[in-house]
Amino acid sequence: MDILSNLLIPIVNLDLLMLIAVGTFAGIYVGAIPGLSVTMAVSILISFTFSWEVYPALALMIGIYMGGVYGGSRTAILLNIPGAPSAIATALDGFPMAQHGRAGEAIGIVTVVSFIGGFIGIFALGAFAPLLSDFAIGFQPRDFMLLAIMGILLVGSLSGDSLVKGIFAGALGIGVGAVGMDPLTIQDRFVFGISELRGGISFVAVMIGLFGVSEALIQLHSIHTPAVRQKITGIIPSWSKVRKHLPLGLQTSTIGTIVGALPGTGGDIAALMAYDHAKRVTRNPETPFGKGAIEGLVAPETANNAAVGGAFIPMLTLGIPGDAVTAIMIGALFIHGLNPGPMLMIEQPDMFWFIVSSLALANVFMLIFGLTGIRLFVRIVELPRTVLLPVIMVLSIVGAYAVNNSLTDVYWMLGFGVLGYFMRLYGYPLAPIILGVILSRLLDDNWRRAIISEREDFGAMMMGIFTSRCRCACSWRW
Amino acid sequence: MEPTPKRRPGELVFNIAIMLASFGLLYSAYGISGFEALSAPGAVPMATTAIMVVCAVVILRQTLRKGADTSQTMAADILPLIVIVTIAMIAAYAVLLRPLGFLPTSVLFLLVMVRFLSRRGWGFCLAVSVGTVFVIWIIFRLIFAVLMPQGIIPEGRIVSAITSLF
Repeated sequence: MDILSNLLIPIVNLDLLMLIAVGTFAGIYVGAIPGLSVTMAVSILISFTFSWEVYPALALMIGIYMGGVYGGSRTAILLNIPGAPSAIATALDGFPMAQHGRAGEAIGIVTVVSFIGGFIGIFALGAFAPLLSDFAIGFQPRDFMLLAIMGILLVGSLSGDSLVKGIFAGALGIGVGAVGMDPLTIQDRFVFGISELRGGISFVAVMIGLFGVSEALIQLHSIHTPAVRQKITGIIPSWSKVRKHLPLGLQTSTIGTIVGALPGTGGDIAALMAYDHAKRVTRNPETPFGKGAIEGLVAPETANNAAVGGAFIPMLTLGIPGDAVTAIMIGALFIHGLNPGPMLMIEQPDMFWFIVSSLALANVFMLIFGLTGIRLFVRIVELPRTVLLPVIMVLSIVGAYAVNNSLTDVYWMLGFGVLGYFMRLYGYPLAPIILGVILSRLLDDNWRRAIISEREDFGAMMMGIFTSRCRCACSWRW
Repeated sequence: MEPTPKRRPGELVFNIAIMLASFGLLYSAYGISGFEALSAPGAVPMATTAIMVVCAVVILRQTLRKGADTSQTMAADILPLIVIVTIAMIAAYAVLLRPLGFLPTSVLFLLVMVRFLSRRGWGFCLAVSVGTVFVIWIIFRLIFAVLMPQGIIPEGRIVSAITSLF
């Protein structure tokens, strides 16, 4: 009964329902417009919603996340420019379809299968997260320390071409998270005699700099690339077509959910794996893969939307983000005084079921907005980047300033923006930095608790790790 | 066989800077509590900065092994004028934000940036910047209640005048 009443929170509360709808609508455009990313939007949004109640803030972010993952497919089909990394595989067959005048058909089928994939991911979240949380409840400090390390290392290894650069980025993030006074001993760390650093570096400023400013600076390189116009007709797909591709969609949704649930992976990897799966299991596609095969759209789009629900599983049960966006959402939950992890399900089960329900509603809104308003969409996507990028920069500056009313945060944002710009150019992944910042406290506190409980005996602590619950969880992960 | 990746302009300098910064941070982390105890406040910072140093050395070694990419230049592919001007403009925005206030600084920033990037007429740029700042102000100041520096425009009075209408 409690579960049902918690599930109904965003449905009976009109304000929340509206925020989810607005978020999903905005997310579709954010995801679709090249140069805007969901990660960027959610990170900027945190700075504007930190003074809100937690439910409305999360409702808006969840809407943007869900809409954004789907929205990336639009420009992949119409312009051959994936609006988000998770839509890279969609462009392979979506754009050839558009070139043959089948853009409307491609958008229609993508919308419907995204909806199906999204629901499978959300169902898995509702069904399996409570079980995993029950398992994780007995974790000791050393287990949490291991989880923090695992989360950082996995993202380091999976979000870029170079493992060593990923590990460097994760370690840098932990270092940034350690700046300021040590909460246990009040000793200064990495302060260099600068009083402003004693309170630490604002997580939001780091995040906006890395994902907002650096992305905008990178986009400047191709700012004068002209927009391509497409004619769109026949959007709503027939039931027979959906039914024909449903078995493949169910398989790739499962792949998407599992891949999304692995810490450090996300919709992009899920979509590519699903595309590969579709190529292997589809014997005689009507159109060959790479030339406009519908199976080449069904597989990545079901998988990347299923990965959204999957990504919330480790975030809500273990406190480890499933991808970059959930990493930022963990930050949002911290800002609102919540502590994602196994205790969240016990102390605030309403929050868990609220997230499940909001995701489901965002998925429904995605279907509605996805099948309507295409003309408006085409106009907005054609908005020149010469106007869009300066606006993003203003929003980034305002966002960084607004959290603490501090110009120092704006300078940090700019500093991390420039650092992030060069790191992107030279092949360093940025997501591990943000994960490092978020997980720094978890790692530091639990390391010290664990080693103190073993009376500073490192060998005894390592032996304990081999008999811990977390080791089993790690085995499960591999 | 995949082609060997080439070293981009400035990559070597960047990676050397990263390595030197990592050594500096390791030294600073050592200064927190030295090797006092495994649970000391400097233990995790020392471990992480040591990892940074090791990784930075490996990255530098890998970079040195790559051949230079002669098809790219620093000015065209890494740090073009458009990026330098934009970074300078963001810094200028941050400096002027408090003395001038959010509204004039944002209009000025957008006016110059849109003009610089689009090369359109001043009228278009002014309309876009004023319109955009107005929308941002309505959304974030009035709806989200985000406080921004007031500067030379009595924003507080304008807001209270607007809210008194409802």
